[in-house]
Amino acid sequence: MVESSALQALGTQRLTDLSRPASEVGVRPTSFDRLFDEEYARVAAIARRVLGDPAAAEDVAQEVFFDLHRRFGDNPGAKAAAWARTAAAHTALNEIRTNRRRAAREERFGAELSPAVDPQAEVEASETNRAVRAALVRIPRRQATVLALRYSGLSYAEMASALGIGVNQVGTRLRRAEARLRKEVGDAPV
Amino acid sequence: MHPSDGTLRRSLDEPVAVDAVHREHVATCARCAGRIQRMSADAASLRVMLASPEPVVDLPAARARLARAETATAGGAVHHLPKTVRTRRTVASRVFAGLAVAGVASVLLVATGGAQDFLNLFQPSQLAAVPVSAADVRSLAGLTSYGTVGGGSSITFLPEPDAATAGAAAGLSAPVVASLPAGAPAAPRFAVVSGGIVTFTFNAELARAAAARAGGQLPAMPAGLDGSTLSVSIAPAVVVSYGVDPGALLHGGGVPTGEAFIVVATRTPTVTSTGVTVRQLEDYLLSVPGIPAGVASEIRAIGNPAQTIPVPIPVDLGSGSTVMINGARGLLIGDSTGLGSAVIWQHNGVVHAVAGTLTTNEALGVARSTR
Repeated sequence: MVESSALQALGTQRLTDLSRPASEVGVRPTSFDRLFDEEYARVAAIARRVLGDPAAAEDVAQEVFFDLHRRFGDNPGAKAAAWARTAAAHTALNEIRTNRRRAAREERFGAELSPAVDPQAEVEASETNRAVRAALVRIPRRQATVLALRYSGLSYAEMASALGIGVNQVGTRLRRAEARLRKEVGDAPV
Repeated sequence: MHPSDGTLRRSLDEPVAVDAVHREHVATCARCAGRIQRMSADAASLRVMLASPEPVVDLPAARARLARAETATAGGAVHHLPKTVRTRRTVASRVFAGLAVAGVASVLLVATGGAQDFLNLFQPSQLAAVPVSAADVRSLAGLTSYGTVGGGSSITFLPEPDAATAGAAAGLSAPVVASLPAGAPAAPRFAVVSGGIVTFTFNAELARAAAARAGGQLPAMPAGLDGSTLSVSIAPAVVVSYGVDPGALLHGGGVPTGEAFIVVATRTPTVTSTGVTVRQLEDYLLSVPGIPAGVASEIRAIGNPAQTIPVPIPVDLGSGSTVMINGARGLLIGDSTGLGSAVIWQHNGVVHAVAGTLTTNEALGVARSTR
């Protein structure tokens, strides 16, 4: 009985040293730990596809996993990966909207409201890049999401799971989204 | 009846998922061919539009950052995740151009058993990245002058007409990619790299001469080292290629102009030795003159050479990162530009590799959809 309790306690113990894999510090990894290892890079990639900015994408990935852990705990269940992927796209799209509002405020009140903006990065960001990201938030959110997922490398089955639709519907939604974004961006060379 | 837009769109990415009736229709219908062409053009265009610099994710750092945020929140602090500091690391991730060559070369060496590479003298059941410079690689290659290498010339490359034939020739199932990157060519080529046995026989006389050329002296040799032989048994490998003809590349032609990648599968090589153990030979060779101390230290740190294969990652061009591929731990090497990336992993006694002109994310997508 004691052994069983000890094992149970070990099984639910959170990894205190998150800088190392659970197996290396003698702690049984939780489902959340495994999910983090397996999905973090993918979630960051989805956000990066939307934002076009690796640093901002990592911020989004952190936010997604922070939120996921707070909502679902150490054993988030089989659908957590799909949740995280969709959340990455939605959070990244929100980030673009927030930045657009911030940019509008800056125009009115000056740049001191936004010390986090990196002038060098701003210079490096191409007009095309910004135009594409702006277009992503003008098209319907579900279309922007399917684009983010597909162009981050998800399979149709994975997209269906993340979007909560049938796999046969994915191609249709993707095709419409592609046509819509092309229309929004126009035929300007990229 | 013409297939729907959705079905046609999927046929671009996942051709095997579309049923045969539709495939046959599309092959003979000019209207559908036009529709597919437009979709393909849109996909290729969007792929460029949505491209962006890609970081190599530092998983331990990401874990630590999340832990700090959770600790701060648990202590009553306001939920506020610290923003990423833009560092040279982010910028450097854009400078990985050329890593493809090194990454692909590393993968091919492991997958096909390049005869002259010292680093293949281990039996891999795990993979570990070893940062090396171009000078380090030259030094390691020089180790072959400490003995004689034999057997590698019998390894051949043979095109095969289809997956079944290639699989039968190699003795394992040809890898099937369920999800191709957007805009990638759909029809693969198949080939088999024959197996063989590569040997390295340590020769004390040659070793002394090589050490002298390197400006040093050999350390004391353990008993049985002189004349000891390592034999690496390499199984046949199936090579599935998209957008490139590896056979033509081997003969100096066929340089791909668009997106191109290969998927390789081969059973894990095995190593036998006479005279001394694999570990003893490794220890000795890493102590001879001319071997960079840093590389020797990295390889020693990996542990038992019968368990782990070191994969050289050029430090000038990028770094490797550990990734999970369908439950198996693997290595990701590459950049975000599409100039090149590679993923290598081992599962159930089979080494798999994906390499080509892909972004790291695309390479991961291909790897994770490979069965």
